[in-house]
Amino acid sequence: MKSIIKMTSFFVLFALMALLWRQLFYSNPHELPSALINESMPSFTLNTINNYTQLKDTEFTGKVRLLNFWATWCSACSIEHAMLMKIKTQYHIPIYGILYKDEKDEALTWLSQHGDPYVKVGDDKNGDVGIDFGVYGTPETYVINEQGKIIYRHIGAIDEATWKNILLPIIKKNS
Amino acid sequence: MALIMGMALAAYTTSHAQIAYHFRAEPQEQQFNRLINEIRCLVCQNQSLAESSAPLAHDLRQKIYLQVQARKTDAEIKDYLVKRYGEFILLRPLVNKTNFLLWSFPFLGLFFIFIIFYKIIKRNFKVIS
Repeated sequence: MKSIIKMTSFFVLFALMALLWRQLFYSNPHELPSALINESMPSFTLNTINNYTQLKDTEFTGKVRLLNFWATWCSACSIEHAMLMKIKTQYHIPIYGILYKDEKDEALTWLSQHGDPYVKVGDDKNGDVGIDFGVYGTPETYVINEQGKIIYRHIGAIDEATWKNILLPIIKKNS
Repeated sequence: MALIMGMALAAYTTSHAQIAYHFRAEPQEQQFNRLINEIRCLVCQNQSLAESSAPLAHDLRQKIYLQVQARKTDAEIKDYLVKRYGEFILLRPLVNKTNFLLWSFPFLGLFFIFIIFYKIIKRNFKVIS
């Protein structure tokens, strides 16, 4: 009987230690899963940064699209820019942008200098649309399926590995 | 010494918000202060909205202020935030099935320790008598 108690205590403690190890080294509290997974996008209407038209949530049905929250003041956004251009030109997945708490003139200049990977960019000057999506830091990229539902959110810059191993498979699965 | 002074300062940051918010009445101000101390800043994750100077914290304080002025209840405001940011935004976890183990764990732990102490004391008692 005593040895059973000792064995269980050992295993309970071991399990706790394993959990602690995992949380300390393998989880990142800054990469939070979206609270809106499998739900429809929050509804929104924004003017585009070039002011010619609008960007609305209702445009996101019919195929899989990416929605990328970005800003010119965000250094990680410039790092992922090359990857976004690749996604546009090589993989042909439509990327829509939302300019988060930034000046649209700065954005227009930036895009004309570095290249524009976006189909359209909505101007979220006060960040309200960001709050509705649960945005807490740029860049954030949402994968929107054909029904307009959020199926995945990636926090931080998209690199090759993330694209090939995580995002592309998700997109393929939902196409 | 510096640590003690730092902790004393931290206790006075409830009205940290760099903007002066004006409220209709005392209850609204209390509600606002209560809420901003219970919501986590997701950028500086160990700080509440009251303590954090991150831009997102400022934006969320603003949102909470507007909802307090619109006479929303604590539950409604927290629901609004949890719907967008998930339960992690609450500094005090919800009490539900998923969090049951989280909440009961300290009590289970204390109970377990109590059993062990009891057995040790009983054994020592036998040895003495």
